[in-house]
Amino acid sequence: MPPLIEAHGLTKKFRQAVKEPGLAGALKHFFVRQYRDKLAVDHIDLAIEPGESVAYLGPNGAGKSTTIKMLTGILVPSSGSLIVNGLVPYEKRQRNARNIGVVFGQRTQLWWDIPVVESFNLARDMYEIPADRYKKNLGEFTEMLGLAEFMNVPAAKISLGQRMRADLCMALLHDPRILYLDEPTIGLDIAVKDSIRKFVRARVEEYGTTVMLTTHDLGDIEDICRRIVIIDNGKIIHDGDLATLKDTYARDRVIHFQLARPAESMAAICQKLPACEVASDGLRLSVRFDRFEHAAGEIAGAVMPLVEVIDFRIDEPEVEDLIRRVYLGQLSLAPGDEPELRSAKPAVVAEA
Amino acid sequence: MAVEMHPNRSIVDALGADLRARAHGARRGVYLYFRCLGQQMKAIMAYETDFIVLLLSAVLVQLAGFAVIWAIFQRIPSVNGWTFWQVVMMYALIFVTEGVGSLFFEGTWRLSSLVYTGQFDQMLLRPVSPIVQVLAGAVGFNGLGNLVTGFVLIGIAVTNVPVEWTPGRLLMLAILIVSASVIRVAINLASAASTFWIRSPWSMVPMFVHRLGDFAKYPITIYSYAVQALIVVAVPFAFVSFFPTAWVFGVDAWSLPGLLTPLVAIYAVLMSVWLFRVGLRRYESSGH
Repeated sequence: MPPLIEAHGLTKKFRQAVKEPGLAGALKHFFVRQYRDKLAVDHIDLAIEPGESVAYLGPNGAGKSTTIKMLTGILVPSSGSLIVNGLVPYEKRQRNARNIGVVFGQRTQLWWDIPVVESFNLARDMYEIPADRYKKNLGEFTEMLGLAEFMNVPAAKISLGQRMRADLCMALLHDPRILYLDEPTIGLDIAVKDSIRKFVRARVEEYGTTVMLTTHDLGDIEDICRRIVIIDNGKIIHDGDLATLKDTYARDRVIHFQLARPAESMAAICQKLPACEVASDGLRLSVRFDRFEHAAGEIAGAVMPLVEVIDFRIDEPEVEDLIRRVYLGQLSLAPGDEPELRSAKPAVVAEA
Repeated sequence: MAVEMHPNRSIVDALGADLRARAHGARRGVYLYFRCLGQQMKAIMAYETDFIVLLLSAVLVQLAGFAVIWAIFQRIPSVNGWTFWQVVMMYALIFVTEGVGSLFFEGTWRLSSLVYTGQFDQMLLRPVSPIVQVLAGAVGFNGLGNLVTGFVLIGIAVTNVPVEWTPGRLLMLAILIVSASVIRVAINLASAASTFWIRSPWSMVPMFVHRLGDFAKYPITIYSYAVQALIVVAVPFAFVSFFPTAWVFGVDAWSLPGLLTPLVAIYAVLMSVWLFRVGLRRYESSGH
């Protein structure tokens, strides 16, 4: 079976007017037009299977939204091929629309001046959702997302958190196969983020809905996605599953010990753990280690006899930290030179 | 076997299915147009004060319309051989079609700001023709004034036509008014589509084209050939007012083109839809 979403050499070029500043610049542009092409998306290849949940990440301006807009049929690609669920999205926009649900965090799909429930009813008529299915879905979503309290309030008068939940409901009323979420939790409080993530995860698990998500919030990724695609400067620089990314780059762990008395001999500890980085500060002692080299228990076993430990905890690196390093160019993730999973050195930071 | 015995059967069936699908699509488009427009009406009425102010302003515009006509014909009883009532008819047709354009198809005027801000994205994400959504995108209650003024003036003008009103002629009059309105809305849509090329939030093209319509408030014979060509061929406003009036009043030299108005309407619709679609491919959204 072919992938649900398949792109080859997908490219989008925008023509930008080059204007010099000030009135003189504007006048000059009026007579002598100068443009330069900006490659927002640069020959990307992407294949997403049915039921996958993909986080599509990248710094601002990397080309995330442009990609999503091509996949949804809003934008016509400059070159390359694109098939979504058997259709070329921009050629068969209306048919494609029936297969997809879209939530843009920055922009609502609700009609601004009419009660939320009227927007849902309008969606029902536009998507020709059968009455029984509409009733079932609306009931279920209202319950899960807590929509009842503002169902009869115009979209203009509800809060951002309420709006996002209503938008998510509307995007899924017609049971689309694919759900595109473009920064769905931007500006939301923890409770709302949580209910949105739970809801999306339930769709993925129970209905096998394929999800493509762009976000700057790593919580979204860990809760929803198995696969991570990173785009920068219009090019895909990483495509793999979250676990591999963690195993490859997030190998080091830190154990923090809380001591009863300051350690007598740091040298003894360091000697026992030559491959680790030991640091101490009064009653605190921390050991950084590669989890493929040592088990946490080994470290604890080595330290405990030498000092009196009151308490300890283990820190895992944050995915956020990983992604930040990728953006900063500290990790080379270019396709083709994928690093081996078990590289010799625990140090994974290939300094740029 | 069946296919071999009736080689044309499958083609006929396919054509039939295609026609049925198209008919269904058209019915659905019309239904959704009214459904969306209904929501716009509700939205406007939700703001009661605004609604009342709008109705009041519509009445005022209507009165102002009468005043303009009256003032003009105090000074010019006949224009280039065209009588007072003939010119009133042209004026009235411009009013009526303008009213139809505002009241039911105001959305065309909103297109440039939707495109500039990228809000037009939403219309491309729904399984409904973006043209239907644009047309139903807003209600301009101020059009009510034009509409009422226009119909009153048409009513008065036709009683002054020296011909007998048979049912057939009445039907043709109705067809001409509908065709004129269709041409007007098609021109609005086509000029609104210019925003796909110009991409400015305050594109002047629709307003400029709209103002060309003012030429058609008077008999085109008073203009140079260049202006005539402009409003007959390029932007067919002459078919909104002048030619239908010529037919209604039985002005021999010009009444035949008047009968062509419905065909011009079809042509205008096809052209505007084509322009819109070509423009749509250039749509670049915002904030990539």
